[in-house]
Amino acid sequence: MERGIKRTAALTHIFNLATIQQKLRAIVRPLGLLGPSGVWLLLLVVLPTLLIAELSFVPGLRPGQAIEGYGLLNYIRILEPTYLRVLQRSATFAMGTTLLCLALGFPVAYWLAIMAPKRWRNLLLVLFILPLWTSSLLRTYAWITLLRPSGVINLVLSSVGLPTQGLMNTHWAVYIGMTYSFLPYMVLILYASLERLDLQLLEAAADLGANPRLAFWRVTVPQTLPGIAAGCLLVFVTSLGDFVVPTLLGGPTSMTLSRLIYNQFLGVARNWGFGSALSMVLILMVSLAIALLLKYGDRNPEIYS
Amino acid sequence: MPRRTSRNLFLPSSTSRRRFLQGSAAALAGVGLSNCRRTIGETTETTPTADTVTDSSQASGTLHIYTWADYTDDELAAQFTEATGIDVKIDVYDSNETMLAKMQAGGGANYSILYPSDYMVTEMIDLGMLTELDKSRLVGLDKMREKWKSPVYNSDNTHSVPFSWGTTGLLYNSEVLTTSPTDWNYLWENSDVLSRKMTMLDDVRETMGAVLSSLGYSYNATDPAELEAAYQKLLELKPSLASFKSFGWQDELLSGDLLLSMVYSVEGIPVSLENPAFKYLIPESGSSLWTDTMVIPTSAPNMDAAYEWINFNLQPKISQETVERLFFATPNGEAMTMLSKDLLENENLFPPEELLAKCEGIAPVGDANALYDEYWTKVTSA
Repeated sequence: MERGIKRTAALTHIFNLATIQQKLRAIVRPLGLLGPSGVWLLLLVVLPTLLIAELSFVPGLRPGQAIEGYGLLNYIRILEPTYLRVLQRSATFAMGTTLLCLALGFPVAYWLAIMAPKRWRNLLLVLFILPLWTSSLLRTYAWITLLRPSGVINLVLSSVGLPTQGLMNTHWAVYIGMTYSFLPYMVLILYASLERLDLQLLEAAADLGANPRLAFWRVTVPQTLPGIAAGCLLVFVTSLGDFVVPTLLGGPTSMTLSRLIYNQFLGVARNWGFGSALSMVLILMVSLAIALLLKYGDRNPEIYS
Repeated sequence: MPRRTSRNLFLPSSTSRRRFLQGSAAALAGVGLSNCRRTIGETTETTPTADTVTDSSQASGTLHIYTWADYTDDELAAQFTEATGIDVKIDVYDSNETMLAKMQAGGGANYSILYPSDYMVTEMIDLGMLTELDKSRLVGLDKMREKWKSPVYNSDNTHSVPFSWGTTGLLYNSEVLTTSPTDWNYLWENSDVLSRKMTMLDDVRETMGAVLSSLGYSYNATDPAELEAAYQKLLELKPSLASFKSFGWQDELLSGDLLLSMVYSVEGIPVSLENPAFKYLIPESGSSLWTDTMVIPTSAPNMDAAYEWINFNLQPKISQETVERLFFATPNGEAMTMLSKDLLENENLFPPEELLAKCEGIAPVGDANALYDEYWTKVTSA
């Protein structure tokens, strides 16, 4: 048919009409599909973010006050050692949680996707994400019952003659609580990625003399890299903004960025300007993580698909 | 300043409190969360009965109330609906600031009654958000105790009706602590025994106020030197603190993992009433004394029903019954005389005058707020 079009002028004319129609459709159809979510995003994400961005440049703005001038004072204040320490703590909590989730989640996802009996797979997966159906507040409360000095863990430890732990109200409790909270996300994403792993490539690697460890690092990991990146991003972003776990399980030195932001908006200071600047920093940190994902996460899309 | 968050979220009724004592944190939080929004009294149209204080024929429809979880229960709402024929819908908030933010953002246009605390009443009056009350429509305001006839936060009660009051103090395990605390300094003097077994409130003004009070300064100090001294003293105590917690301390305290917690009376007293091993104490050098009030926002859609609600709650009998169910102190003098001897003689609930005289209400401190917040961030981040 293509050859026919090339031959006759009349057909070319029709072809042109068709391309215009196609072009129109190419514009209208995505608009129709993306419109609702676009409006949603614009109203509930973009506009509020712009509003926060504006407020962040008003030094010391309190609710009910008129905006009198703009400046960078809020951002300069974040550079004070006290606030940098809070930023650093939040980043450390989030990064530690991400690494722990990856270390614990990868073997589980690997086993689920590759080694577990096929007919049990879906059930096992459901069991693994079952905790997500309950409130995160509830699950964090459960950790208090487990971790406190007279809690379940110590009861078990002391009954078998092992030394007891004193993790409640420490940074370790925060790591445990957050890792527990976000592990299912990591496993889900890694599972999706590992499920599509081309096992023939592993066989080929073995044929070519790679031992299992080498095959894992050179074949399995590169293939699942996009999944690893996506999982890490999701865990990092959610744990960076987590509020419940540090509040309930952390000790007296557990001020995090999200708690600090809360204090600026609903606490005693009610400094919305400073709170907005802190929020912008949080948004920036999340955006950086996403940028890293875009750069490194999708490096080999052809392998992934 | 989140206040009484724990009972609001996790201990909404005495039933769940008992369940809590059995150590079932999970069940508890579930009950608490499911109670976050309650809809009550949507059922029957009852004709007003003779008990109603004022003529209720003019008021009708639905009354939307925005309050703390501790202050209303199904029974109170049902009684009100039965007496006036007005349906009641109750939403709860966990801090004055949350309530203010929602009202300022226009999300509270439905509400005809709010329950702000003392300092928030002052702030909302300044913001022009409260209706000046028509005293001729209020019945029973004269029964208030002397202290609440013209409170500091709102002289002559022009815009607010005192509803409840309480203190902040120490709740401790008297079976383990052989010497009983009497004052804030007990925390510093016994920091070895209490090491990582005590909590203070995750509330800047309360915890800094307590330290200021232990130094002999005002709970509402604004002098930077005094605040610096309090910051240093709190820093000294920090290694011995398990955490700063406004909620979530109950489980650890009851199991013996904590020996002492700084708590709001409305949360501490119920624990001490149910379990005699735990005692609530108002420190000698004084603590904070708070009052919560009923107000009508200027945006109230159902003014008549709002007055009905206030008058209903001003009835000594209703006030007395509510206190006996929910354990807060009432400013209503006549209701007090009707209380059971046990409650009336409970010095935690109704502290002696000389101790009350040492307690201060948390007052707005203006620009010093920023200083409080800075010291707080320093304490909790380093």
